[in-house]
Amino acid sequence: MTAVPDIERPPGWFESDLLHDFLRSPVAVAAACVCLVLLALALGADFIAPYNTNDPASANVIDARLPPGSVGMMGGHFLLGTDPQGRDMLSAIIYGLRASLIVGISSVLLAAAVGITLGLFCGYFGGIADVIIMRVADVQLSFPTILIALLIDGVTRTVVERATHDMLAVPVLVIAIAASYWVQYARTVRGLVLVERDKEYVLAAKVTGVAPLRILATHIQPNIMGPVLVIATINLALAILAEATLSFLGVGVPPTKPSLGSLVRIGNEFLFSGDWWISIFPGAMLVSLSLSVSLLGDWLRDALDPKLRDAW
Amino acid sequence: MGSFVVQRLSQTLFVVLAAALTCFVLMRYVGDPVNNMVGQAASLADREAMRRNLGLDDPVILQFLRFLRDIVTGDLGISYRFGVPVSKLLLDRLPATLELSICAMLVAACLGLPLGVWTALHRRSALSQVLLVLSLVGVALPTFIIGIVLILIFSVWLGWLPSFGRGAIVPLGPHWTTGLLTVSGLKALVLPSITLGLFQMTLIMRLVRAEMLEVLRTDYIRFARARGLPMRTINYDHALRNTLIPVITIVGLQFGNIFAFSIIVETVFQWPGLGLLVIQSIQFADVPLLASYLVLIALGFALINLTVDILYAAIDPRVRAGLTVSRAGS
Repeated sequence: MTAVPDIERPPGWFESDLLHDFLRSPVAVAAACVCLVLLALALGADFIAPYNTNDPASANVIDARLPPGSVGMMGGHFLLGTDPQGRDMLSAIIYGLRASLIVGISSVLLAAAVGITLGLFCGYFGGIADVIIMRVADVQLSFPTILIALLIDGVTRTVVERATHDMLAVPVLVIAIAASYWVQYARTVRGLVLVERDKEYVLAAKVTGVAPLRILATHIQPNIMGPVLVIATINLALAILAEATLSFLGVGVPPTKPSLGSLVRIGNEFLFSGDWWISIFPGAMLVSLSLSVSLLGDWLRDALDPKLRDAW
Repeated sequence: MGSFVVQRLSQTLFVVLAAALTCFVLMRYVGDPVNNMVGQAASLADREAMRRNLGLDDPVILQFLRFLRDIVTGDLGISYRFGVPVSKLLLDRLPATLELSICAMLVAACLGLPLGVWTALHRRSALSQVLLVLSLVGVALPTFIIGIVLILIFSVWLGWLPSFGRGAIVPLGPHWTTGLLTVSGLKALVLPSITLGLFQMTLIMRLVRAEMLEVLRTDYIRFARARGLPMRTINYDHALRNTLIPVITIVGLQFGNIFAFSIIVETVFQWPGLGLLVIQSIQFADVPLLASYLVLIALGFALINLTVDILYAAIDPRVRAGLTVSRAGS
């Protein structure tokens, strides 16, 4: 056995500029910490939340709308008060956080999958399909997300029956949000592919007879993931906000499984009785989530590619 | 220029037709229109007769053309929920939404523009740093949270301003009602327009600042300084003027967004406009109303985009020649 020749390896994660940059940015570190804490809360909701608000038995109407810090009739302690059905707000917020994150992350993943695939194909193969898809993307970009999601949700509601719709609510919501975000991935990826397509490593692969699909998947795709990651992070914040807004409008997740937006919606009805905690606490949670994710996205964008700053 | 306009026009027409087709499919195939009209007791022959009378036996293309003719003549069908013509419902609600949107745009422009100019001219001052951070927070704050917090502070706790409705309205001509002429109408407008305008304000502010900084770096500003012109003249006469061209186009484009976001604001403040009507129609699955709204929105957006595109091309010859990347990407 001869010794393996010393090839220059790309630097690992721990010696990367990215980590160095990250540790030097207090905003990024703080945002990442908040994100991690919230993620842990959402993942460990079953262990962390004092009550299981998805279980109807945990609610007691006698304890409805208690202010923060009160003790209920049955001896329950409610740090952040209770909602109109006597559910513990703290637990409801933690479970709501989970619901919001699930919808947000799934719609980002779906939008990314669709957008990246279309972008790769359009950029690499071009042709009439490219022209049509990019025209559709152009047109769609001029419509606001909320409107597209609202119309998709509205149309689904008119097509399927109510009971079926409650069951389908979350997937429909994910599709509705993803439907308006795929465009950014498609456009960005297409632009990047157009640049990569004529580079030497792709030409070399072509000459050696690698199939086009394989070139796209194993050669080009890994080289364009940086900007995609940036878009995905920034989109996550937007998707979470979109979900919350739709749920607030009453067209999002069904009320039996509350998300942050629908909790705010419930609280909004009781604002005038002075019961501010029902809407303000979930709202504060929502804002800290979206703010920390978008700050993280901003940092990532600046760190990975300062040029992207203008693309937004 | 001519071919550019034709190309954009055909694209606009295509978008509107696609939206109309979607609505047509919705209205025609979601449920059976005949079943929605006749009673349980109607015989099969009656239904057939009705089907023939309504023209539902005709080729689909013919039905679609008839649907288009109806839209153009303003016949948008009857709302399932209210039992009155959709066009009347939409016309009744339009003034409320338009007044709210225009006021919000005014709030956004009147605050965003000076703040943007100020932060650009005083880049290093602590106050502009604070303003920039605040504007970042403003972007992350969802519209409905802003509305709820404003209601909580100014309506519930302080009791200064109303939190729902339009206040007293007075008719202005046969089709228009306005809340701008009464004290309660004006008071009711304050919180919703601030809520709706806040996001746009931060956007305008950041945009003006970025453009202004860009312009201040250009040669003609440097030469103006070298000529010894007073700073006031340079900043406001030379720099600001050139800043405004892109800002005005973006603000124009944002009007569509304001229209969309008014749905949220109208829900929070129970503002009796189009948005509230649409949200309620979605919950009631009022197909004719939803379909008409979809066509209307598509038409509105397509027209806004068309206008902006043509304005762009008129201002910047490079766009006409297709030399620059599409505006939508920036």
